[in-house]
Amino acid sequence: MIMAEPAERQDAESPAPVDEEQLVRRARRGDLGAYDELVRRYQERIYATIYHMTSNHDDANDLAQESFIKAFQALKTFKGGSSFYTWLYRIAVNKTINFLKQRKNRSHMSLNDLDFNAEHDPDLVALISDKTPRREAGLTELQEKLNAAILKLSEPHRLVVVLHDVQGLSHDEIAKIMDCNIGTVRSRLFYARQQLQGYLSDYLRPA
Amino acid sequence: MNESENNFEPLRRLLALKRYEIPPPGYFDRFSSQVISRLRAGEAGASRAIAEPSWWLRLLQAFEAKPAFAGTFASSLCILLVFGIVYAERPEGIMPNSPVFATVSQPVASLVSATMSGPAPSSQSTGLMINTNPVLSLEPAPSLFGQQNPLVQPINVSFPISGN
Repeated sequence: MIMAEPAERQDAESPAPVDEEQLVRRARRGDLGAYDELVRRYQERIYATIYHMTSNHDDANDLAQESFIKAFQALKTFKGGSSFYTWLYRIAVNKTINFLKQRKNRSHMSLNDLDFNAEHDPDLVALISDKTPRREAGLTELQEKLNAAILKLSEPHRLVVVLHDVQGLSHDEIAKIMDCNIGTVRSRLFYARQQLQGYLSDYLRPA
Repeated sequence: MNESENNFEPLRRLLALKRYEIPPPGYFDRFSSQVISRLRAGEAGASRAIAEPSWWLRLLQAFEAKPAFAGTFASSLCILLVFGIVYAERPEGIMPNSPVFATVSQPVASLVSATMSGPAPSSQSTGLMINTNPVLSLEPAPSLFGQQNPLVQPINVSFPISGN
């Protein structure tokens, strides 16, 4: 199973708003069946965002579940000013950032194995091919370096990179989630990419 | 902006590889049911309690985050402690002036003195007096308004010994 591969397409064709509104209304009245549908709809994106922020499956699992539980408890406060999934993202992101602040002194990484399909990705094949300066770099090493570089970023910069370059969200969506303007998102993204380029220079070939 | 996007293109392709990091197989099949069962089981409250630290933990975290706050807190505690010790060691300066002390101590003192100094008429008639002296146990409840409880009075009980 390839995780988050269709993220850009999913966001581009966001679910029908009427259906979502109905589900939210029913869930607000305590209908767990409706909420189950909402969870299924967004679980992969919420999990992936948290996972890429924490680089730890267990933490991502706990935080994702707690985010959905907290969202259900707070549904009565959801006014509908933004879409449900933006609101849900905000809950998950705030929870994750709070968690990361507490975890700051705890340095550990429990990374998942790369999906088998990754070996057939042309970009990855190119990266570990003869043209790559670090030929000996294998999948695991590349994954570790990539995650270590991302973890070096501050939480806001990491979040922007994860939401845009990994999850494929637009600047506008990220601005809504992070409750800031698009200019801030762009400048954070630029700075974060510059940082990452420095950390990962051994693995980057010119376009 | 497009130029900068092009500059970052290799990085973007590298970052896109993170999409291949996957949770264990079948994870998402179980995820929503786990969330719903936790909601059904009422674990929501418990998880909130676990996620949100108690006031004590939050205080400790605040100390860790702001050492100045810890110093201020410790100084306040020390000042309170010193003030308490100084205050406790000067009872003569405080107690007599206390209106509560004056109100409460007066009826008790008068009762005790009346009991202790009063004659014991029963001793003459009986020759043997058993004084249960219930003054202390039945002393009237002190009233802040300076009134004694009329229902409870100190008594002396004497039992005549017959048989001679």
